[in-house]
Amino acid sequence: MTGDLAFALRGVGSAVGGGFALRDVSFELPAGYVMGLIGANGAGKTTTIRCLLGMRGIETGEIELLGHRMPGPVALRQDVGVVFDRTYLVGDWRLAEVERTLRPFYDRWDGTRYRELLDEFGLDLRARVKDLSRGMAMKLMIAVALSHRARLLVLDEPTSGLDPVARSELVGIIGDFLLDEGHSVLFSTHITSDLDRIGDYVTLIHDGRVVRTGPKDEILAAYRVVRGGPDDLSGLVGVELIGVRRTSSGAEALVRTEEAGLLGSGVLVEAPTLEEIAVPAAVDAADTAAGTAAEPPARGERVNAVVRMTQLHLRTVAPYRTLGLWCSGC
Amino acid sequence: MRVVLSNSSGVPLYQQIKEQIGAAILSGDLAEDTALPSVRALARDLRISIITTNRAYTELAAEGFIATVPGKGAYVLPLDSALVREQLLRQVEDGLQTALDAARRAGLGRADLVEILDGLMQAERQENPSETGRNHR
Amino acid sequence: MFGLLTLILARNPDHVVPALAVLLAPLIAVHPFVVADKADLRTLYAVLPVPHRTVVLGSYAWAVAGFLGTVGAGAGLAALLARAEGVPLHGSDLVTLLGLSWVLFAVNIGVQFPLLIRFGYARISVLGTVLPLALVMVAVVRLHLSFPTLQHWLPLLCAAGPVVLAASAILAARLPGPRA
Repeated sequence: MTGDLAFALRGVGSAVGGGFALRDVSFELPAGYVMGLIGANGAGKTTTIRCLLGMRGIETGEIELLGHRMPGPVALRQDVGVVFDRTYLVGDWRLAEVERTLRPFYDRWDGTRYRELLDEFGLDLRARVKDLSRGMAMKLMIAVALSHRARLLVLDEPTSGLDPVARSELVGIIGDFLLDEGHSVLFSTHITSDLDRIGDYVTLIHDGRVVRTGPKDEILAAYRVVRGGPDDLSGLVGVELIGVRRTSSGAEALVRTEEAGLLGSGVLVEAPTLEEIAVPAAVDAADTAAGTAAEPPARGERVNAVVRMTQLHLRTVAPYRTLGLWCSGC
Repeated sequence: MRVVLSNSSGVPLYQQIKEQIGAAILSGDLAEDTALPSVRALARDLRISIITTNRAYTELAAEGFIATVPGKGAYVLPLDSALVREQLLRQVEDGLQTALDAARRAGLGRADLVEILDGLMQAERQENPSETGRNHR
Repeated sequence: MFGLLTLILARNPDHVVPALAVLLAPLIAVHPFVVADKADLRTLYAVLPVPHRTVVLGSYAWAVAGFLGTVGAGAGLAALLARAEGVPLHGSDLVTLLGLSWVLFAVNIGVQFPLLIRFGYARISVLGTVLPLALVMVAVVRLHLSFPTLQHWLPLLCAAGPVVLAASAILAARLPGPRA
């Protein structure tokens, strides 16, 4: 499997209103690994994910997903599991109904696995989607993704609003998923501690631009945190201080590892955590945008797909199926 | 197999894994041919990244402690392979170098050092004759 | 409420079927869009392995199925009512009214759906209902339409229904969905 890419974005730009939501975004993930997409709220994480999944058009650049240039064939979605911070299922559906609704769309749906996963995650088939807590809803979406045998799991802010127990469970679920070397995970977060350990690759995004991307260990190795007294970090030659923070009792900054040797012995030089890199590193961002226009969406589908869609629509109405309910409800 | 990782030791995680598995093999806790979990299974169990785990295994393999089977896992190699010997030899050299440095500061000469070494070996032989006998094989 | 309204309007069993078809069928047809806004189904549609076109055609198929279902249910109800009240059903009037409801329904859906698909229910709800109604009103006033003339043109109008829907569906399938 070596050499296969789970996905790649090359020079992707996406406009919103008059400006750019993303500018020259390029990063890639080899198949079989986890990547964390890190950035503050509004940095462009969700936009990036939506572009990657073809849910949003791009103005420049190109996107490759599981070996297909996007927009790829619709069947590609069979291989991708998507977990957003809010469920995209009808609140009135019971979990058994979720399966009945989604199963017809997926070629490799595994009902046994769905039941096993719900059982493992402590979810009741009779529960309704709207009654699930955030953590449970996230686990339901993961169960759906794993039941249709997705190869790429994309999670947008899966840990926001989760308690530490649920976050820890998620790490375990991702670990299980990655036992198969053809499986890959992309997840976005603004809480970097989730990624400090399990992330193989990291992409730091700020203001719609990629600040840094690559193997996490390399990124961590590229920077050092320095701490010193209030006057220690001034008048330095040959050392660029990134994101300096000064208080009356001391100063703290990020420096490139190769420059750390030039610092005096009076300061404390330490290996950074992702958190310490994520914010200050956003300072040095570069910009250029070039590329080709996106292709028009691929077409072609079958009549039974329309039938399945009609069934789905039927299920949206299912709670009101009886006329009696209509009358009493009004 | 027992691997306990520390977040605050300052030692990189891959190094910790490598040292602990290496030590277990050298001490005989992990016998020859023992199957080790696959990189991905160990990464999952330790809740760390695959790249980190992979690095530990790669280095252990490079030092002759284990052999990895792509897509499967890894198993422990016989201890007396040349690479392990080399590894042990390096440890001996490191230890002697440390002793040498201390000796220089204490003003001890070669004769003093040899005497200390002989004394230590004799003491060990008396304490645990079978163990040292095997080491002198 | 709507069921009740239908019953009140429909003391005459002849009117049950068209009344249901006019009042209930569009509600059923639009319902997926209401739910889609609430439950973020647009994301689901984008995640499911079906092209946008299928989603669009699915809503039209659902709307037509809803209309046929309502008409079926209405016919049954009309028959029951006729028997209970001892009033005979008038076949020809029924067919005329039904034809007219079909035309109204086709115009309603044909105008409303592309808007709903492009902008979503939240932004189009009132306009979506008013616009087709206004179109029909204008047509009735400007063309001096009356019941007999309508009856005369009915076969043609009925045949125009599917054409309107098909044209609308083709247009809607080309439209992008609301921006996420």
